[in-house]
Formats: sequence, C-alpha cells, structure tokens
Amino acid sequence: MERIITRFVMALRERGIRVSPGESLDAVQALALGGVGGRESVRALLRLTLVKNANDMAAFEEVFDRFFSSRPPNVPGLDTTALLGALIHIVEGGQLKADLQEKHEEDGPRLLVDEEVTAEDLPDLLSLAETDDDGAGAEIMVQLDGYRGKMDAPTPADYYLKSPPTVAFNQNPGAKKHLVFTPQELADMQEVVCRMLVRIRKDVQRMKEMESRGKLHVIRTIQKNYRHGMVPFLLSLRRKRKEKPRLVVFCDVSYSVSHATRFMLLLLHTLQNRVMDVRSFVFNKEVVEITDLLRNMPVNCLLETIDKGEIVNLDDNSDYGNVFVSFKKKHLENMRGKPAIIVMGDGRNNYNEANDWALEEIREKAGYMLWLTPEERDIWHRGDCLMELYGSYCDRVEVVRDVDELSRVVEDLFCTLYDHHDTRAWKRRREPKVEEPDDYGTYYTRGRDAKSANHTPGRGRSTDRCPR
Amino acid sequence: MITEQEVKDLLRTGGYIADEAIATAVFLALRMEKPILIEGPPGVGKTGLAKALSAVLDFPLVRLQCYEGIDEGKALYDWEYGKQLLYTQLLRTQLDNYLSVSADLREAVERLSAEESLFFSRNFLVQRPILRSFLSEKRSLLLIDEIDRSGDEFEALLLECLSDFQVSIPELGVIEARQKPLVILTSNGTRMISDALRRRCLFLYIGYPEFEREVAIVCARYPELCETLARQMVEFLRKVRELNLRKSPSVSETLDWAQVLSILHVSQLTPEVVANTVGAIAKHQADLQQVTELAVHEFG
Repeated sequence: MERIITRFVMALRERGIRVSPGESLDAVQALALGGVGGRESVRALLRLTLVKNANDMAAFEEVFDRFFSSRPPNVPGLDTTALLGALIHIVEGGQLKADLQEKHEEDGPRLLVDEEVTAEDLPDLLSLAETDDDGAGAEIMVQLDGYRGKMDAPTPADYYLKSPPTVAFNQNPGAKKHLVFTPQELADMQEVVCRMLVRIRKDVQRMKEMESRGKLHVIRTIQKNYRHGMVPFLLSLRRKRKEKPRLVVFCDVSYSVSHATRFMLLLLHTLQNRVMDVRSFVFNKEVVEITDLLRNMPVNCLLETIDKGEIVNLDDNSDYGNVFVSFKKKHLENMRGKPAIIVMGDGRNNYNEANDWALEEIREKAGYMLWLTPEERDIWHRGDCLMELYGSYCDRVEVVRDVDELSRVVEDLFCTLYDHHDTRAWKRRREPKVEEPDDYGTYYTRGRDAKSANHTPGRGRSTDRCPR
Repeated sequence: MITEQEVKDLLRTGGYIADEAIATAVFLALRMEKPILIEGPPGVGKTGLAKALSAVLDFPLVRLQCYEGIDEGKALYDWEYGKQLLYTQLLRTQLDNYLSVSADLREAVERLSAEESLFFSRNFLVQRPILRSFLSEKRSLLLIDEIDRSGDEFEALLLECLSDFQVSIPELGVIEARQKPLVILTSNGTRMISDALRRRCLFLYIGYPEFEREVAIVCARYPELCETLARQMVEFLRKVRELNLRKSPSVSETLDWAQVLSILHVSQLTPEVVANTVGAIAKHQADLQQVTELAVHEFG
C-alpha cells in the first residue's frame, strides 16, 4: 500500500499539488485506520490527508480518477478522445487558428493596436515592424514577452504624429469586447493582491514596532499600576497617533486608459478597508465618487455599470480641468487629514481649459500626489496632452504600461504612505542623514526624523521626479 | 472504537446531518489525534459541526475566537500579576521573618531566589482556552474559530500546540496535554493560512450541501415543515445561489427561512410569500430585488 500511496503522491506532485512526506505518512495511517472500504471512502481519506488547499481539490479529483481508474491505463497524460478531437480540428483548420490566437495572447509578440487584429495578420505586421525602422505611418509597437529590456525598446520615432490613440497600454486586441473579468483573471489578480497585502502588512508591522519601541509613557504607566502600589508591572508605551493612511484615487475611465483602470479598480476594491481608508472617484468629463459602490458591489458589476456609462457619460471627452475644479468645489473641503492623491490617466484634456490652479489647490491640501500615466515622457507635451503641466504639480509621475509595473508602483506607494504622512518627511528621506546634535531637548522628534532618513527609497523603476 | 458510520449516526442524533467527507474527517481526527482545519463559505455549519460534536461526544467545548492582534496572553496562558503582588503583600511578615535570619543582603537574595518558583507556579497561572483544554480532566473539544482573522504570528504560535499538544512556558517548562483534545479550526478563507499549519491538520472543505442533504438538514431542524415545502425551498435556494448575489444564502439562511415559513404556517411557496419573507434569504438591497424577481419567474 505504501508503494501505491507514494506513486499517487508523485502523480499529485507532478500535477502541481504540494504534498509533504509527513502528509503521505498521514495518508498511509489514515488508510490503515479507515480501511480500504470502497472507492469513495478511499477518495475521502486521501483527500483529507493529502490536499490542504481548496484550490487543489479539482486537480486532486482528476489525478485520483486517472490513477485509480478501473480501465487499463492509457499512455500517461494522453487522452485518446482529446487527441482525436485535436486531429480533426487540425485537419479542419479550426484548431490551428485557435492555437495561433492563443499563442498570440500568451507568449507571442503582442501587437498593441487599437484596430482589430486577427491572427492571420500577424506575420504581415511582424515583418512590417522589422523592416520599417522609422515606423512611419504604422501605429504599432511590438513587444516581446519576457524581454527585460522593454524600457529601452525602440519605439517608432514619430508614431505620435497626429493625436494618437493610446497604444502603449498593454492591451489585447480583443480586450474591448469582453471588458468584464473572467473568473480566472479575477483569481489571478486576487492572488497578486493577496501577496502584495502580505508584504505590505509586514512592512507596516515592522514600522509600527519601530515606532513604539522604547518610548515609555511615564504618566500612563504610573496610572495603570496604581493598584499595584506604583510598581510598574504593566508598561505603557508611547504610541504615535494611530494613523490610517488616507488615499484618494481618481481613475480616468475614458476608452484610452480603460484597461489600466480595470486593474486599478480591482486593486482598490480589495484594499478598501483592509489596509487603508480609500476614497475613489472615476471621471471622464464629470467626476463621481464610487467609494460606496466599490465597497458594496462586486467589482464585475461595477465595471459593467461603468462601461454602460451609467456612472459617468462615456461619450464625452475627458476634461481634466473641469474634473479638478468640480472636485475642489464639492469634495476638497471634506477631505480629512492630508490624503495621498493618485491620479490615473493620460492627461489628454481634449483642448479644454487646463485649470491647473485647481490642481495646485488640491496639491496644497494633499500630503502627496502621484500621477500614473501610460504614455512615455517624450510625448507629454504633444497635442492635447497636458501631462507636462499637470506633472509639475505632482510629487511624482510614473509611467506604467502594464499590470506588473502598476502593482509595483502601488506597492511602493503604500510603503511610503505608512511611513510618512507628509511630503516634508518624503523629502527628508531623500536627503543624507544628518549628524545628531547633542541637544536632548529634541530627542523624540529627532529619533523620528532619523528613522525617516534611514528608510530606503522606493524601488520604482521608472521614477520621473518633476521639478516643482 | 468508533467507526465512520457511527460518527455519522451520532451526529445525526445531535441534529447535524453530515456527509461522507465530514464523517470521515471526524473519524480520522478522533483516531489519528490530528486537528481538522475546516474551510468554506460562511454559514455552512463549520462552527455548528464543532458544537454538535461537543454535544454528542460529551467533550466540553473550549472556544477560542480569533481576532486581529490575538496573542499568547489571550490564547495560551498569562501570569496573574495582581495575585502575585497581593500574595507578596500579605506574606510580608512571613517573608520578613524568613529573611531576617540571613546574615547579609547577599544571603537574603539567595534565600529568596531559592523560593522563586513559588511565585511562578501554577497558582499564579491564568489558563487561557488552549491551555485550559489541554489541562482539562476530561477530553475536550478545542474550537479555534475563524483563524483567518488572526495574524501570522499567532499561527506560528499554534504550530507547537497543534503538532505536539504541549505548551512551553519559560518559567515552568513544557506542559503536556493531559488529554489530547479534539481540535477544530475554522476559516472563512479571507486570508491564506500558512502551509505549515495546513500540514499539521486534516483539511476539510465544506461547501454548500447537496440537494438531499440540505432537505434533510431542514427536516431535521424543523420537523413540523412538510417535506414538499422543504424540497421546494431548497430547490429555489439553489437557484438563488446561482444568481450573482452579493451575499449568497447559505445553510444558515436556509434554516432561518425555514423557521420563518414554519412560524407563518406556509404550505406552498408563491411570489408573495417569497416577497414577504425575502429578508431571511437576502441581506442586501440589490439582492432583495433579484430574489423577488426570480420568485416571480419561478412560481408566477
């Protein structure tokens, strides 16, 4: 029996389920206790002892069925019916096409074009990109997956001749058709966010520990130990004001950046109330707060609602100036504390009034301001793009072009937020550490400052700090 | 020794309808003395299983509700400072007499430290749930509820307790469990539990029950409800679960609804009945509407 179990465990491991030797011992013990009564009872016993994750259940069932099948086993891993089906498909050409499409989505070169591109066009366009070094006329950019140096990838020199569509954001050609998340996509993102949360939490905890270390609150300690005759059994440590960082996020939901917005919204949805106090707004021409919607509505429904244009009218052109002015009028007064503000958008104002004074006032009130744009820096001043102007009011402008970059930037930001709440600390962090003077009057505040200075700066790759 | 079928029958007498997997898990946990980690959506009877088990097996239930920031002082043990202090105050004269014999300070300190163990003895130890269940005279059932609410540190703390059934107290040494309790951990899956903890447990996933089992659960709890109505209810609720609701009705909602219907002496589901009692199933404004619409579609 041990042999069979070991082989079965091997099969599970091959399928990606992590089973430790201890667990296989458990399985053997369980079988000895429970007896091999029947197929289903063995299945239950093995599942209980070997699978420790609800996500692995389906894989387990599959392996179990294959491993303990009553029929003589086929060649492992090959299913004749599936093979036959595949053959027929290939002969008919349907599968081939689907394969191409899949490859195209998974690991093939990605064509980032607004128009519909089919798999058949792929070779043509590829050759086009390779021969056409200056890229004149063709609005395409080829990105090879896994190519680490994509930051330096040559972009066609003047593909922004006219007011171009935003082609830079990593967008599948078919993405527009199904703007709703697939369950798989949701699960993947949840996982990314979960991992992020764990990391952020750990950082936060470390910082909290650092903050509360060694500072005795004398008066409170004495009060607390009154009944023990002032013998300090219970210590009371001085804590800083408990600050839940506040975050205000603006998402441009116009078509040009919708793909990025989707991820951002999902991220907000997950973060809401878990680590911080987030207020979220979406805008196109008008700005609307969606904090409550995010909290109460499944993110898929919310996206659908947004796509239908029920929250903000999507047929309008985005008007950043108007958005900032109306935000200032309606919401700025109610902002508590010094929130960090993130704006997500390409800064294309469609030749409306810039109203950058409003942004400046918002900046005055905010602790920190970050702008995320999908466009490269050298086209910020072209056409109707006001990125250069708006960027000058921001503490930081990041170019994010895919979900990976975005998650990195956001993670950095959260670490920053928990550490410092105002820009003064943010700036100080960048300055070299100053020698401590021997004045003990400023002991407490100095300790705090020194800590801020010690903290390593963010790991953002494409940090573009704008001069103010 | 108890068998799987006996476990199932026992639980049935306690009003808990278990399926194959649950019965096997309980049986194995009893025989292998391993904790069970139960995951599943809220309201499918994770905590209910522990309660029912404690009742039918006659194991006293020791419950530890987890929350963010729970630590060993709340879960394992704590020293009773106040009592220690009180005793030293009250015993002052004895202490004075005892120490007055010593020639100098050094000797006094030595004499006193020889008696140190007096003050860190079990007299002054507050037993928190885990230690309490370990030291219980009778075999107990330790329910660690909603482990996903606690932090990583607490999980790490549990590792020693759950694999070896012992608690290390620096001042006293290792305290081993008198009777290894039956341990049940529940989790709603809001956070991933670490692999280390999972490895030490049997893993049981309780999802929404199958049709027949859910009917049996309703009938067992509310025998006054006629079976056709119970079937109709459960069938309807299964369709409700397929809707994309914010909060899908769980078994606990099924039971609530059954109670409502039995109080109202309903014998047949109609759109009006559903509309009047929908508060028992749906817990959000948007959901209410969807459920009533479905009812009109189903029974209208």
